[in-house]
Amino acid sequence: MKSGYVANRSTRFSVLSDDQCREIVSASKEILERTGVKIFYQEAVEILRKAGCSVDGEQVRIPSRLVDQALRMVPKRVTLCNSRTGERVMHLEGYNAYFGTGSDTPFYIDPYTGERRPSSTQSVGNNCRVIDALPNLDFVMSLGISQDVPQPVYDRYQYEAMVLNTSKPIVVTANDAQGFADIIEMAEIVAGGPEKLRRNPLIVLYAEPISPLQHSMESITKLMMAANKEVPVVYTPCVMAGATVPATMAGTLACGLAESLSGLVLHQLTKEGAPFIMGGVFTIMDMQSTIFSYGAPEFHLLEAALADIAHYLNLPMFGTCGCSDSKVVDEQAGIEAAMSILLMAQAGPNLNHDVGYIEYGSTASLEMLVICDEIIGMARRIVRGIEVNPETLAVDVIDQVGPGGHFLKTAHTRKFFKTETWYPTLIDRKIYANWKSDGSKTLTQRANEKVISILESYQPEQLSPDVKQKLRAVVERAASKCQK
Amino acid sequence: MSILDEIAQGVIEGEATKVADLTKKALDTGVPPLDIINNGLVLGMGKVGEMFKTGEMFLPEVIFSGDALYAGVGLVKPLLTDGSMPSKGTAVIGTIKGDLHDIGKNLVGMMLESSGFTVVNLGADVSPESFVQAAKDNNADIIGCSAMLTTTMILMPDVIKLLESEGLRNKVKVMIGGAPLSPEYAAKIGADSYAPDSTTAVEVANELV
Amino acid sequence: MKSQFVKSRYEANEAVQFNVLSDNQCEEIFHSAMEVLRRTGSKVYDPDSRDLLKKGGAFVDGEVVKFPSALIEWAVRTAPSRVVLCDRNGKAKLFLEGKNVYFGPGPSNNFVLDPFTGERREPTTEDTVRAAKCCDYLPNIDYAMDMGTVRNVNLTLSDVYSFEALLTNTTKPIVHWGFDIPQYQDILEMCIAVAGSLEELQKNPFIAMYSEPLPPLRHSREAIAKAVFVAEKGLPLIYTPCTMAGATTPATMAGTIVLQVAESLVGLVAAQLKREGTPFIMGGLISIMDMSSTILSYGAPELALLSAGMSNVAQYMKIPVFSTGGCTDAKTLDAQAAIQGAMSILMAAQSGASLVHDCGYIEYGSTSSTEMLVMDDEIIGMVKRIMRGVEVNDETLAVDVIDSVGPGGHFLRTQHTRNYFKKETWYPSLIDRKVYEGWRAEGNKTMGARIKEKTQMIINEHNPEKLPEATLNSIKAIIQRAEQREAAQV
Repeated sequence: MKSGYVANRSTRFSVLSDDQCREIVSASKEILERTGVKIFYQEAVEILRKAGCSVDGEQVRIPSRLVDQALRMVPKRVTLCNSRTGERVMHLEGYNAYFGTGSDTPFYIDPYTGERRPSSTQSVGNNCRVIDALPNLDFVMSLGISQDVPQPVYDRYQYEAMVLNTSKPIVVTANDAQGFADIIEMAEIVAGGPEKLRRNPLIVLYAEPISPLQHSMESITKLMMAANKEVPVVYTPCVMAGATVPATMAGTLACGLAESLSGLVLHQLTKEGAPFIMGGVFTIMDMQSTIFSYGAPEFHLLEAALADIAHYLNLPMFGTCGCSDSKVVDEQAGIEAAMSILLMAQAGPNLNHDVGYIEYGSTASLEMLVICDEIIGMARRIVRGIEVNPETLAVDVIDQVGPGGHFLKTAHTRKFFKTETWYPTLIDRKIYANWKSDGSKTLTQRANEKVISILESYQPEQLSPDVKQKLRAVVERAASKCQK
Repeated sequence: MSILDEIAQGVIEGEATKVADLTKKALDTGVPPLDIINNGLVLGMGKVGEMFKTGEMFLPEVIFSGDALYAGVGLVKPLLTDGSMPSKGTAVIGTIKGDLHDIGKNLVGMMLESSGFTVVNLGADVSPESFVQAAKDNNADIIGCSAMLTTTMILMPDVIKLLESEGLRNKVKVMIGGAPLSPEYAAKIGADSYAPDSTTAVEVANELV
Repeated sequence: MKSQFVKSRYEANEAVQFNVLSDNQCEEIFHSAMEVLRRTGSKVYDPDSRDLLKKGGAFVDGEVVKFPSALIEWAVRTAPSRVVLCDRNGKAKLFLEGKNVYFGPGPSNNFVLDPFTGERREPTTEDTVRAAKCCDYLPNIDYAMDMGTVRNVNLTLSDVYSFEALLTNTTKPIVHWGFDIPQYQDILEMCIAVAGSLEELQKNPFIAMYSEPLPPLRHSREAIAKAVFVAEKGLPLIYTPCTMAGATTPATMAGTIVLQVAESLVGLVAAQLKREGTPFIMGGLISIMDMSSTILSYGAPELALLSAGMSNVAQYMKIPVFSTGGCTDAKTLDAQAAIQGAMSILMAAQSGASLVHDCGYIEYGSTSSTEMLVMDDEIIGMVKRIMRGVEVNDETLAVDVIDSVGPGGHFLRTQHTRNYFKKETWYPSLIDRKVYEGWRAEGNKTMGARIKEKTQMIINEHNPEKLPEATLNSIKAIIQRAEQREAAQV
């Protein structure tokens, strides 16, 4: 019997103390009360005015009590489902960390030629098939734009390409609220009706405000559509320290969080208790190249710090990792992916996206994706930590083996070696001679082989012909309207 | 599944008790002993070797399979006339004098045993004289010599010189291994072969005998 | 300004907080290690060390030594909780205390990857000169090690020659080892030639010497005798077992740390018995045997996890720790090397390990690569930024600045951005953040290609501070004497 024993059941990590979280949240509330946000949609401004906000044209100042109220109303957990089975596969709550891709990259690297090409409906479909095959990826974003179809309705084509090729939960982007309405209709077809979709959500809508402190009509109407339909929504400010928010990390967090919280207030006023996932793609502007950096250490730090705040507020959170500023899948891509994935796994935002991005989010790479799948496996092993009990301490086994013996033949080793250690599929641990005789391949080359093998052989679970046909009908309806 | 298949499967699963029980049962039902060995026990172990090479099986599992193999062999062996028991040969192995690093050498020993060699493991800190004496005493086909340090590997040529002066060099093959070694070093000191790991050591030993 | 008042009871994370084990778990592992030494004991092959341990209160039965827990706890209390390492000029550089983290390369690889030819070959003294130059140049590499057992000299003096190469080509602190006592004597004399006297060296040591027991629970004659020698000379001692979960230790992580700590404790007790207060750093390399390839993995996630767990236990014991990071199982500098380097460095930094070694190791430690070292230097730079965490105060929260910019404005022209952007953000030297077209215009280089250029530049152009001619001559004379001694032995 042990008394007063505290054990770490996983590694323990934090960037901010509770006091620091409280101070940053307080600064965000101060920003909303004092400076406010601009909202470019009259209907939303009216809702806020009625709730007690102070309105000055487009500028809306939000009293803290409305933020507190929204934080009380919003669900503390969101569950997402497999689109084929309806199984509840993702529980966005606490420190559960799930991983998935990013959306809407204009380019992708053709795995057959190595060429950087414009993404298309086909590349989106192929990418989703690869994501579906990878065990450590939990959800899907498009990893490309359907650029080969009428652009005003590309979003319906894109969702169709995705849902045909994966049964994993999907986070969707759309041109506008009408796009979302069509996609929700399509998801209802897949789920088997609106009621089933509400009960077992298999999509999450994605919308973003415009930093600093602005909410465009498109993003607000999307946000309100999600609230009214009770479909989970990610509302995610994309801020650049030094450019759209202050150059300091604390100021970046305070300003970005203010954008999220103002979205949350409107969302909860639109429909109390609708599911909401706090976003936040907070990084720096690189002051030499002016890019929005996807690999900067400050990016990972800010995401981890925001995760502390999300936990402090008890809100599900959308994190970012597995992405790089490198233009190719090289050492740099490896470093940036490894660091960001490990930090997200440790910090525990729930829905971690952008796995598979290279070139600061402009290009999708399937090699990067399968490598990240492996990194997530490693990171999950690390975060699982070290189990300490008499059996794992193995003092008796050590005594039985004694000085100079070895543990290879013990039943203890046989019992534990697989559960205590992680085994790779792409990472190479061969002895030098065997690596050489297998062709001296780099990780990127092995990753390419894996991508090709998935593309050539893997088939996702199919939707029924009837469902496929109904989906097509929605897409075609939208396309014909757009031509008129 | 025939009882021989079951025995082979038991070896693959590393279930020593099960293999022993099945072997007894096979003997009781009149299966010829040599058949049990060749088409049951050794067949299973051969599959284990292949699966280890392709990464489907892991070392502790291979070791338990080796134990299961010998649980069966131990029962059958007394029933065989001398000389009919298949053995690939005898290997005397050890870590060279001045060096206590022996985990790699132990691995080689276990893998050689599992693949059908008789192994005499001399342990660590073994002098060239002891290597050669043990080779004589056990009528060995192979000496396997391991070193982890550049300061100890330089004693390896002494083993070979001693074998020559004792007139045993033609009879006993010498294979070497260990982190600082290379095929070039093996060639330089006149060893017959170099193995970078235990799996290769088995292949090399098979070629040498 | 929001806060015109003093905050009470405000707790801030000055750096990123991380631990693998709770204090209770650390205590349980430490207790288990003591139980192993009490019940099972350790084989100690050096008679003198056995006598020393016996006089101190250990039970000796043949080669097996068993340790009463009181003796171990005495030794842990007696060892200093901080060790300071200086540069070659005696200036304090590394403060191994609390959760300060320092990074360096590793020792005694059997091969090097030549950064000019790409060839994997046996190391020569020139390779250690290159390693020393790189360590000397790279801002995030804090100390030097030999990065290869050199093969172009008398093999029994390889350690002495590589030490000469280190000592004459970097001013940074050196962590080194030697084969046996005579070589330790040579190395010590070279250090004294630089410091002026043993006392000066003791006051401001620029060297830490390490030796390795052989798990499980074996201490070779040289390993323990070398540790006692260093203790006797009053210099910093690293005792660093190298354990493989599933092979030389149990397959469980907890059991592996138990044995790792138990091995180190034997060296600690012997050192403290020889000279109370010996500066002691516990090791070392702790990972798994890959049960498919049978290598000791230098890139497994368990290496990072075990090292962090071991560091937690060392911190609980208040003993500085020699940990591992920046290494890989990859055979070449590729994305795998990068991933494994990055993960292990990040974890080592988070764990607060004092001396992190083996940066620059590739091929599961079999080969060293100065290019890997150069890449690790960049990774450490990134990690240092992350570890610094987020500073939260009125000035950094910038509520006033946000109000003055307002919704839809930008911060590029504010004085606040000008003041802070460099301080708050890390700027890379090898990581590329150019726009696509700019990167194309500069030749489509991978990071590996950029690393190669930088490594060659350092080796070709960096001139480390030279030792005075007279000191160099004394060092040469010491090596000559060593050669004569070795010649006499043959």
